[in-house]
Amino acid sequence: MVEEVRDKARELLSAGTVECVIGYERATDGITARPLFAYSPEEADRFILDRTCVHNLARYLLDRKGKPTAVVVKPCDSRTINLLVHENQIERDKVFAIGVTCPGVVEAHWGETTEGLQSRCGSCPLEVPVVYDHLITVPGERQPRTGFPELEKLEAMSPQERLEFWQQQFQRCIRCYACRQVCPGCYCPICFVDQLDPMWVGIKIAPPENQVWHLIRAFHLAGRCIECGECQRVCPVNIPLMLLNQKLTAEVEGMFDFRPGLDAETLPPFATFRKEELEAER
Amino acid sequence: MSRFLSLDGLLAWLDGLLKEGTVVVAPTLVEGVSLYQPVPAAAEIDLDGGATVLSPKEWLFPQSHTLFTVERRDGAAELKEGTFDGRAVLFGLHPCDALGVHLMDVPFLAEPADASYRERRERTALVGLSCTRCRPECFCTSMGTAPDDPAHLDVMLTPVEGGYAVAAASEKGEALLASAVLEEKAVPLPEPPVPDRLPTEDLPRVFRALFGHAYWGRVADRCIHCNICSYVCPTCYCFDVRDYSRGNTAERVQSWESCQAPGFARIAGGYEPRPSKAAKMRQRFAHKFLYFPEAFDGPLSCTGCGRCVRSCPVNIDIREIIGDLQRIGVSSVGSGEKQD
Amino acid sequence: MWAAEKSRTNPLIPYAATISAVRELTLDVNLFQVELHDGGGFAYQPGQFAFLSAFGVGEAPFSITSLHAEGGPMEFAIRRVGTVSAALHDMEPGSLVGVRGPFGNCFPLDDFRGKNLVIIGGGIGLAPLRPIIKTTLGHRSDFGDLLIIYGARTAQDLVFATEFEDWAAVPGARLELTVDREGPGWEGRVALVPAVIKELQPSAENTTAIICGPPIMIRFALAELKALGFENHQIVTTLESKMKCGLGKCARCNIGEKYVCQDGPVFTFDQISGFLEQL
Repeated sequence: MVEEVRDKARELLSAGTVECVIGYERATDGITARPLFAYSPEEADRFILDRTCVHNLARYLLDRKGKPTAVVVKPCDSRTINLLVHENQIERDKVFAIGVTCPGVVEAHWGETTEGLQSRCGSCPLEVPVVYDHLITVPGERQPRTGFPELEKLEAMSPQERLEFWQQQFQRCIRCYACRQVCPGCYCPICFVDQLDPMWVGIKIAPPENQVWHLIRAFHLAGRCIECGECQRVCPVNIPLMLLNQKLTAEVEGMFDFRPGLDAETLPPFATFRKEELEAER
Repeated sequence: MSRFLSLDGLLAWLDGLLKEGTVVVAPTLVEGVSLYQPVPAAAEIDLDGGATVLSPKEWLFPQSHTLFTVERRDGAAELKEGTFDGRAVLFGLHPCDALGVHLMDVPFLAEPADASYRERRERTALVGLSCTRCRPECFCTSMGTAPDDPAHLDVMLTPVEGGYAVAAASEKGEALLASAVLEEKAVPLPEPPVPDRLPTEDLPRVFRALFGHAYWGRVADRCIHCNICSYVCPTCYCFDVRDYSRGNTAERVQSWESCQAPGFARIAGGYEPRPSKAAKMRQRFAHKFLYFPEAFDGPLSCTGCGRCVRSCPVNIDIREIIGDLQRIGVSSVGSGEKQD
Repeated sequence: MWAAEKSRTNPLIPYAATISAVRELTLDVNLFQVELHDGGGFAYQPGQFAFLSAFGVGEAPFSITSLHAEGGPMEFAIRRVGTVSAALHDMEPGSLVGVRGPFGNCFPLDDFRGKNLVIIGGGIGLAPLRPIIKTTLGHRSDFGDLLIIYGARTAQDLVFATEFEDWAAVPGARLELTVDREGPGWEGRVALVPAVIKELQPSAENTTAIICGPPIMIRFALAELKALGFENHQIVTTLESKMKCGLGKCARCNIGEKYVCQDGPVFTFDQISGFLEQL
């Protein structure tokens, strides 16, 4: 199955269909993965594909606008393509999606991986990428859906308990903005935290500013988060960001029966106005 | 014969310092994450943990702090400086982090010194902890230190059976140990572990020669330009200064900033001196391996702690970069003036 | 207001100062005169810069456009382009500002003595060149021929226009003006500054060129000078950069290993040629 990835990449590069194929290769610890940008068929020999391939590579399409690029996408990652095409950030015909089915991925940080899957995999509704130009079927029994116990725990808390929980989490935020940088939904040319005039947040790395940062980001992603889990993975101080994003995802789904990026046609609720909404019952 | 401090003695000593009002900053677990924090009691210290996620630099060079405020009232204006009055002990520094403090002294204490850094630095004692094991990402011996190196510390502790072998490395350290109950005891010191070595010979010259090489673009492809590497690093020291305004009071704040942050070097009007991903990512390594040694006539701005290796979400590995630069080598480039 | 002592002991604390006068030079450039509250002020050389603080808004570096030797208050020619410059533009005379300085190196006057000088400015880039122009005009016998080439986008963007007549009147000095775009009321040359260099063909013999302007102008002017036989060590520039400390500590203003705030802002091109893409 990894040979299929390599073969496809070699084919696309040799034919000049794309300038670059973005896939995975082994990281320097010998056990986890990292992105590989292959520009020649020979470089495609280095591609790997296994449960350590956790990165959402489709995010890199934002760096390669207008340049024909192939990208290996798991089902969650593939939602990125629909999202970014919807939001006019990338051109569909410049992207060749090498879709791979997914039995789930493990927790992977440099030097260590877990036996069990990431918790978000337990609530993932997808097995097959939602958009692809070529599909590779990965063998492997898909683990049964376990729901999202952490979210249930959060929802069982009172508002005061939730406030204290999140204040506790955000206290150790160092504002590295890795969550923002890795997120395919965060692509504003000037992020609100970097604005000077008005200075919405400022540079103090302190609890009040940390809270504003995370809460506003969560709201900017509400209805747009495609649940790739990258924000939580990259956080150096283990803030459970997916909990926040998935809570809002659940809220939007409850209100609008909508989950972003699942298809190429459905318009996102917050970017759409329908006259019927004026008359809708509250 | 050397001096020995039992584990109980260590805890008692530190609790004693806490009681007299000294702030003890040590590795401790915060929601499972190992960080240097002021501890309320010695029992909170994570003595056996590996490296903290963040370096101890944030104690001497805070993530953000107030430089001064200017308050305007009745036509007059008053300026108040931010100050740090207490005394502190930075406890549990591995030699890589002790070297990190020394390397941070270099720019901040160079005249004219950064006044708030100098104040904190003078009021802080450094108590080190020798390493009993190396992690796979460690490479301190390639950066001029070693797992048992007492340099730049006031006190050095080496873990031994039942406690620690103690050595004072400065007058400040000797004074600090006055309240510790030490025993004269023959304590065999363990063999220090041996981390991997990297080819750092002549690195600034090699770097300069390969400055314009296409290699940087290839590595930068996967860089997401977050601030993680700069923030976890014990020697990255770039900072931002910005004003806040509340009513009649203006507050000037100094905070960490990374060369990877958007707008780091952007001039008003929009001109961006390092617009490409390659130039931006290269800046951090250039600072560490070329600009810092050139500007300060000597050491590389890296301690081999490996935190950036462990924390980079896309595995940009400083050890790999050093190896690659040497492998590509000076001989492969003409005059070294090749532009990318 | 606070005593100057605070600023002398902590280099990040500005001197208290006031804007003593403001004069409009163009639609978006004002000339600010600034006087320190305490201690009279500091000495500075042509080429050096200072940080001005609009407290509560921020602080930014600006070249000092006055000549200390002439006496008189410190002058800054500031274009309204960012948050700090906008805040300064909104201030009335008498407003409180902060000043930190002087920073940076200065023009190597000793190296210029006896040489012909070609001074090339673009837009607001004339501001840091003004003190060196005044120095050479005021001491003609110390220097060779002086050619000043100055251009801006339009005639309305030429700064210090009221001083041009005096400059051109000094014997041995020649002032060649140009604008990028023609417009009403402008009867003079319409050409980009690098094209004027090419047109005038200044000789490289015993000559030093000094350039200041937008990075793109510097690049093309450099090419024209090289074509005329100027070598890197004969070309001097003064660069701008985003700065926060002025002390070589915040580590952002570098061109290669040179910090613009400490090793510059005045550079000869042989000092920075290896890192030109970061201009």
